[in-house]
Amino acid sequence: MFTLAIKDLKLFFADKRAMILGFAVPIALITLFAFAFGGVGGEKEMARPRRLLVADDDGSLGSKKIIDQLDSLPEFRVKRMQRDSAEMRVKKGDEAAVLIFHEGFSDSLDAGNKPPVEFKYDASKEAEIAILQGALTGKLMAMIGGKSMLKNALANFDRQYPDMDSASRAQIHAQIASDMGGGQSQQKQESFIRTTSLIAEEENSPGLIHAVAGTAIMMLLFAVIAMGASILEEKQEGTLKRLLYSPLPPNQILFGKMISANIISTLQLTVMFLFAKFAFGLDIFSHIIPLLFMILASAYACASFGMLIASFAKTRQQVQSMSTLIVLIMSCFGGSMIPTFAMPEFMQKMSVFTVNYWSIQGFYDIFWRKLDWVDPTFLTRLAVLFLIGTVMNVIAVQLFKKNALKIA
Amino acid sequence: MISVSNLRKKYDAAEALKGISFEIQKGEFFGLLGPNGAGKTTTISILSTIVEPSQGEISIAGFDLKKNPTACKKNIGVVPQEIALYNDLSAFDNLLFWGSLYQVPVEVLKKRIDEMLHLFGLYERRNEKIKTYSGGMKRRINIAAALLHQPQIIFMDEPTVGIDPQSRNLIYEVIAKLHQEGMTFVYTTHYMEEAERFCDRIGIMDNGQIIAQGTLEELKSLSKIDETIVVSFSNLDDVLFQQLATTHNSIVREDGVVRFLSSDAKADLSTVILECNRIGLSITHIDIQGVNLETIFLSLTGKQLRD
Repeated sequence: MFTLAIKDLKLFFADKRAMILGFAVPIALITLFAFAFGGVGGEKEMARPRRLLVADDDGSLGSKKIIDQLDSLPEFRVKRMQRDSAEMRVKKGDEAAVLIFHEGFSDSLDAGNKPPVEFKYDASKEAEIAILQGALTGKLMAMIGGKSMLKNALANFDRQYPDMDSASRAQIHAQIASDMGGGQSQQKQESFIRTTSLIAEEENSPGLIHAVAGTAIMMLLFAVIAMGASILEEKQEGTLKRLLYSPLPPNQILFGKMISANIISTLQLTVMFLFAKFAFGLDIFSHIIPLLFMILASAYACASFGMLIASFAKTRQQVQSMSTLIVLIMSCFGGSMIPTFAMPEFMQKMSVFTVNYWSIQGFYDIFWRKLDWVDPTFLTRLAVLFLIGTVMNVIAVQLFKKNALKIA
Repeated sequence: MISVSNLRKKYDAAEALKGISFEIQKGEFFGLLGPNGAGKTTTISILSTIVEPSQGEISIAGFDLKKNPTACKKNIGVVPQEIALYNDLSAFDNLLFWGSLYQVPVEVLKKRIDEMLHLFGLYERRNEKIKTYSGGMKRRINIAAALLHQPQIIFMDEPTVGIDPQSRNLIYEVIAKLHQEGMTFVYTTHYMEEAERFCDRIGIMDNGQIIAQGTLEELKSLSKIDETIVVSFSNLDDVLFQQLATTHNSIVREDGVVRFLSSDAKADLSTVILECNRIGLSITHIDIQGVNLETIFLSLTGKQLRD
């Protein structure tokens, strides 16, 4: 019995693939998820500053002062921007929200009226919005809410008791100020910041879009790596040699593989979105042109990625060992598992180097932001995916020629 | 049809081919014999354009291999040593795929596939997946796949390794038929009877060189061996064989017998018997036979073909 167990242990520790899948993959994923969920770095990491886009339409000394005060807080990193540009960035998914100080902010504050402050957001970034809004409401209330409410209360009092003598009035004013000092109710605090979703929240929920796009791209990456690795299988089984005996130029053997990988990838993504349509009601037919373009671009980039990974390896077994780790890491960084906005900033910066990020954002552009296919943002994402795919294909071809196509 | 001059191939420090040269005429059956590592497969790989030579001139069907590899490829068919087929495709689909790589028109190709399937006795099973085939049946399809585009030259690298006698005989029949029809063959094998049966000329390779080439008769005369004395023993072991080998240079041990190479067997017979008795070997049977490729190879290289 123990002899059998020892033999199995020996085989397990001698199997590099089993070791990678058993230890390296879980360790890498635990590390990534720990970073992604903010579990690394303790309180310091949890209290990391959030970027806050601010548009100051009022442009008064009062609004500038409040914005400076917000900027000085450790919770925020304020970025000032013109309202139109800021709203565009939110609409395009580059920012989660913008805080707008509308014209008349200072005057309203001085008159003791509710100041015109608006928080415009992208509802697809639900978690980010909740954190930002929670932190913002309390801080803003402490800065302007108390002052505004007090002025309002004193003005109301004066209107009700216009004939009161000045000594009594001063005493009661002091009492009201004391009673209201920092003790405003949460309900009142929330009431003066107007919140508006910049994107009409219609039939396609961001959760559904993320689930479909994120999962489809991740699973596609697994599939295309296997397709890319088939050329190594052909080498191991001798059929590649036979292909090389034929008059077919070696490049065409690779291109043939690429074409089949692209067709299967396109088909796989199409089926995934059709399933999402019929099972969950994702509205794909209203956006058919941009969807087709994004499916083609994503399929091309994913297929190229599969070819690239396979081109590094010398055997199919090597590809299988590497692929699980690489796809899971890339999917984690790229937002397939966790939305990128919920990740620490360094991971968000890294995400732009992944196919997942550009594809998922592209699908958000279509179903959530409802961008037209000629919209520059959407076209940029398509261009990036095609560029990534082309660069990876060029490298893959060179490596395949050096490794797989070389027959000793 | 094929001309090879001073062909060399180096892999880092190792030299797999050390300047071999040979000519093969149209319709000729040329065999390449040699032990493992002699350079046979490297030669076939270079001639079939998948390995680049380090040096040398090669012409195939009138085309320079370096300048016009595609034209060379169109004129050759290659039967690789391994079964190079797609297991999950049927025999018909495999042949259709491999044939289409040579741009044979589909209708012509389908006709050729039917002919090949009949020729190799597999027409009835044409729609079954290759993975359901026996080793011998796979070998037959492996050969058929190289013949679809009707090449002028066929390279066969150990095409009958590890198959049943029925498949082997069927393959022999096909080879003989194709040879009769005028196809040029370059054939490597470990089976001496195949080489002796088919080859018009034979090149004997050892250590990256062709040490001798010619017809079987020419090789016999080169080896200066006319006969072999074949002796069986009741007590042959490694120690006694080694003792025997110190007294006779040209002996081969195979399948429980020892072959003594000789240019005059009758004269050498008494010496062989006396020597065996002297070292304590008990002879159970003794015979005088003619030479074969195995003994020719031994006399030329001092090594056995299957070393």
